[in-house]
Amino acid sequence: MSTSPSLTYDRTRTSCLSSLYGFGQVLPGLLAMLFIAVFANNLPGVPNPFTLENLLAWLDGVVGPVNHQPLFAILNSNFVWNPLALGLLVGNLCGVPDAWKRGLSTIHMLMPLGIIMLAPHFMVGHAFKLGAAPILLCAAAMLGAASLTLLAARLLRLDDRHAAIIAGGLSTGDPHACAILMPLIKAKGGQVVNAVGCVVAVGLAAMLALPLLGGWLGLPDQYLGLAAVLGVGNGAQALSAAFAHSYEAGRYAGWFDVGRHVLMPAGFLYVFVVMFVRKLRRRDDPAVLATRGIDRFPVWLGVFVFCWVLACLHLFKEPAHHAIFNLVKWDFSLAAGALGLSLSWRDIAAPGLKGLAVAALAGAIRLAALLAVIALCVKTGLLPN
Amino acid sequence: MSRNLHTTDADGFDYMANSGREEQDRDTCGLLLAVLLMAVLTACQYLGLY
Repeated sequence: MSTSPSLTYDRTRTSCLSSLYGFGQVLPGLLAMLFIAVFANNLPGVPNPFTLENLLAWLDGVVGPVNHQPLFAILNSNFVWNPLALGLLVGNLCGVPDAWKRGLSTIHMLMPLGIIMLAPHFMVGHAFKLGAAPILLCAAAMLGAASLTLLAARLLRLDDRHAAIIAGGLSTGDPHACAILMPLIKAKGGQVVNAVGCVVAVGLAAMLALPLLGGWLGLPDQYLGLAAVLGVGNGAQALSAAFAHSYEAGRYAGWFDVGRHVLMPAGFLYVFVVMFVRKLRRRDDPAVLATRGIDRFPVWLGVFVFCWVLACLHLFKEPAHHAIFNLVKWDFSLAAGALGLSLSWRDIAAPGLKGLAVAALAGAIRLAALLAVIALCVKTGLLPN
Repeated sequence: MSRNLHTTDADGFDYMANSGREEQDRDTCGLLLAVLLMAVLTACQYLGLY
């Protein structure tokens, strides 16, 4: 009779350090993650010019900017998705040797580590310069978009794990949130990458639509910038949409982006809490898969919230904040490499196009509602022109 | 059921499987390391070391 790995672990466990394997066992996997990270990103402290990031930057130079934004940033190239793409290529072209697998399991330690160290990055005080009404709009747009996506997913009967990941990415305007939510929602890697594709695709459509709709409504440049930040995919897509309307709108988008950015943790925490409470209420429902296996609020997430509060009180000042963020880049680059290695093309295609339909429906309603609210606020003077 | 060649080795160890006590322990290790790194870097700043 075979024994489950979980039972074996429980029997042999002596302390929390039992989850770390011997150095010889993890070394090949750690080296694989290291090489993928080092050849994907320009990591702090590594003077390697032959990186995917530099290759894409060179191609950006060849193609030229799209409304003042690099094309590959619009397509979501960044320090998480570059190593993921490289890991995906290596894993699918060369396979993943068994000797790597113990080391690659450190992804499960790196995820909470990186997420906690992200906390000093979000200083709410930085958004106070925007004024009360734009901050309230940022918060409402974020929570509204997340709720809308979850409702659309229910309507179209999408797997709740996939839905939660799309909700996180779409509402925060940052596809990084998809990766951050992965261990909290207990989503599959394929669902996460598929969800990012959906969020980026819907962001591209919104990027093209917003300048036209904003011009048709006659929104002032200032608030078209705000609408771009809150209604269009990732940061580069939002800026490109605003610059496509006018240079002033693009500059204002950069100004308002701070509001969206510092509130980002609230967006993914909201999605997690909604899915967690739903799971607690419907424990016996086999259709409820999101957060399945998480029995209580994760301690490490509590530590993240505590550190976010400390960041808001300006405990982490600039040099320390930058040093911590450099470690986050290292951490996520290593973890994303391991995630990429774990996936086959089939895993990514398996969730199908239903996620795209949910993201498109929620994204379209969000953009329409947002433009209507902003136009109304401008007319009534709640947003001074 | 055939094993996932990307994640599972010949002994049945699946590196993407993460549950139970082992998951809690991995979370704890990540948490402790994160707190340690942030505390050291912040203390270095307050002590004027950079």
